[in-house]
Amino acid sequence: MTPRIPVTVLSGYLGSGKTTIVNRRLAEPGPLRLAVLVNDFGAVNVDARLIEAADSPVVELANGCVCCSIGDDLGAALDAVAALPQPPDHVLLEASGVADPARIAMTVGYWPGFRLDAIVVAADAETVRKRAQDKYVGNLVRQQLASADLIALTKTDLLYEHQADDLQAWLALVAPRARLVETQFGNIPNALLIGQASPSPTAPGYHGSHADIFVTATLNPETPVNLPRLKAALDALPETVHRVKGLVEDAESGETVLVQSVGARHEITPAPGLAPTGLVLIAPRPTASLDAAVEALSRACTEPAD
Amino acid sequence: MSEITVFTAKKIITMNAPMPEATAVAVRDGRIVEVGTLDTLKPWLDAHPHSIDNRFAGHVLMPGFIDPHLHPTLGATLLPCHFITAMEWVLPDRTCAPVTSHEAYLARLAEVVANEGADEEIVVTWGFHRIWHGNVDREALNAISATKPIFVWQRSFHEIIANDAAIAWMGTAREDLERHPQIDLASGRFFETGLAVAVQAMNKVLLAPQRYMKGLELVKRTVHLGGHTTIGELAYPLMNDQLEWQVLSMTMGAKDTPFRTKMVPRALQRGNFEGSPEEDVRRVAEYAERSTEKMFFGNNIKLFTDGGFFAELMQMRGPGFIDGHHGEWLMAPEAFETYARAFWLAGKQIHVHCTGDMGLELALDVLQKLQDEKPRFNHRFTIEHFGVSNPEQVQRIKDLGAIVSANVYYVHELGEAYWQKSIGYERASQMARLGSLERAGVKFALHSDFTMAPAMPLNSAWVAVNRIAESGAVLCPEECISVEAAMRAITIDAAYVLGMEDEVGSIRAGKKADFTVLEQDPFAVDPTALRDIPIWGTVFEGTPFPIAS
Repeated sequence: MTPRIPVTVLSGYLGSGKTTIVNRRLAEPGPLRLAVLVNDFGAVNVDARLIEAADSPVVELANGCVCCSIGDDLGAALDAVAALPQPPDHVLLEASGVADPARIAMTVGYWPGFRLDAIVVAADAETVRKRAQDKYVGNLVRQQLASADLIALTKTDLLYEHQADDLQAWLALVAPRARLVETQFGNIPNALLIGQASPSPTAPGYHGSHADIFVTATLNPETPVNLPRLKAALDALPETVHRVKGLVEDAESGETVLVQSVGARHEITPAPGLAPTGLVLIAPRPTASLDAAVEALSRACTEPAD
Repeated sequence: MSEITVFTAKKIITMNAPMPEATAVAVRDGRIVEVGTLDTLKPWLDAHPHSIDNRFAGHVLMPGFIDPHLHPTLGATLLPCHFITAMEWVLPDRTCAPVTSHEAYLARLAEVVANEGADEEIVVTWGFHRIWHGNVDREALNAISATKPIFVWQRSFHEIIANDAAIAWMGTAREDLERHPQIDLASGRFFETGLAVAVQAMNKVLLAPQRYMKGLELVKRTVHLGGHTTIGELAYPLMNDQLEWQVLSMTMGAKDTPFRTKMVPRALQRGNFEGSPEEDVRRVAEYAERSTEKMFFGNNIKLFTDGGFFAELMQMRGPGFIDGHHGEWLMAPEAFETYARAFWLAGKQIHVHCTGDMGLELALDVLQKLQDEKPRFNHRFTIEHFGVSNPEQVQRIKDLGAIVSANVYYVHELGEAYWQKSIGYERASQMARLGSLERAGVKFALHSDFTMAPAMPLNSAWVAVNRIAESGAVLCPEECISVEAAMRAITIDAAYVLGMEDEVGSIRAGKKADFTVLEQDPFAVDPTALRDIPIWGTVFEGTPFPIAS
């Protein structure tokens, strides 16, 4: 079968900066064919000029019934995307500001032909804590943060250092699963936002790029990999590692498997017939512990089973 | 000018306080000339050619019933399905007898598959409920047919059960279904987000234009069957303006349709990347030029606060839901305020879908701001549905000049379920607190939100007056209303909610000659028998339309 198209769910309440992130993606397309679905209700701010100029398909979801799934546009839009003559490599879904991203992720992540890449939740560093106390949307804002694999923290340049520290401590309580990425002007590298980074066939090492906003490290296990150990090692990775992705050989079956890990979410799926490429680790700068992470994963991959 | 027709009746209940009862009504060119007795009508009859029509001599006439909130398109998708329900459903083309056991359910479904559904691509049945019908699963459906795709749609739309033929018909890769945590292929169940996968496949049948058209013909007859002569379509369009307008015009807009439809547009339309309130105010204004006698736009618009009541997605204030889940906002509270302001300043009547007490709170907080910024009298800001509320909010509704259009049927179908499983007895028993509204003097209408409730005004009135839940228990008798208030809520006060009280809703000189013809007097029967009053039919703009037997 054709591989499932990964969907990155981009959530966040009004004013969180998520539309800026979408606009930035449209303005600076990467090598992947990206389809963008926008599902906001009465607050669409995606730049129309960018939509026109983009070679990616950009779809705004339409009305459906409030009470049941009749006319539900999300499913129809996904089916339409999958049926394109040239289906996209990846879908970025800008969820409605009032949507529960976990529910959206469940819908799109298991939609026939698709799989969930990650839930990215944008949060305005200046206002998010106030929003989280709001009479009407406080619950929702906290629920969105709690569902995040990655939190894209916007406008961090407006905070004093002690405020930034307070905010991080608070986020660690509200969103214990999430990794944090600081962004300015919607600028998250594709490698972090949608995990677009091609595994390098070269030797392990660092590859700084994108104005040093993030770094990658590549790991090529020399022997087939013990998957239970790899899973345990992924669970134990430091919070500075945001994504791990690549193809390795399963020691038990001898088949190639696809490893995809975003924050605390890991998925290992069979990828028979593909050649192992090794694993790419992606982390935002500064990354003091990336060495240790490579080391830990490397050990897990190569040690023999008990 | 045409000849005057005088309809005489055993009793005419005018719902017009200065002359509450009459026995004759004179009609010309679709409008009422005068109501009273043959004696009091004499000056008109002496002066103009007329005939006396005594066919209603044994009947009771009321103003034509009005449902100010239903959704023809939603009804059109459901009515062509096969109803197998625990409660009796009287539909225009069939009466569905109650089916209340597992065995009876499967037997009836087998009949449907063998007969009515034999020529259909897929058999879709609605009304299944575990409490009555037990565990109907894939194997049970396979035993009915190995070849005909069967989809069993649960009564409140939250679950679908499919047989193997149906699962194959969907055309979805089996491994895609197997990996879905909210699809259980062993039992054939599709639920929560898995439900959308099944419905998306079914949509190509459910929303096919021919079936939609047939469904709308059934909606038309359903509306007539309930005794309506005026309805409000309260969120136009449901999905697609072009298709819906065309098909609605051909059916509801046809000459032979015995009722008129007020179209209330959604204040904002998605799907076009046009998000500004000013553009939406313009878009809504442009609908006006489409208006015809049968289907017309007015000064009303529709907005939403919180999620669906049947879906348990209403926004609740503390202490919330028993299981700790949260409701949802259908639009961001800030966006709601922005849109409400734009349409408030444009002088519109704003109808707001509110189901939980937090959704209602948002609507009232925003209304307070708007009143502070630009005070308006007679604005008729309408709370739609009115699921859960508290008594203090009733006072605020009154203070801010708002009115209510309630789906009181919630009490009957959901009162006990929400007591046991959702929000507990205190708040569940008080849902749709109409007694408080009546005592406070807040005007309110009853609606069906069809297909959320049967489109039967006398049934809604029965629930409002008696508050009898599914098991027969009475929930919060303190919130029962008088028969008088209930009758107003399906006639003159429903007209008020739609901004049409000058034209319809009561029987008086000058208004449209719309009557609902009853076999009994709602004020004379035992209140618990209100819903059993047989309806002969209607008179729409002076022309009798009997309900075909």
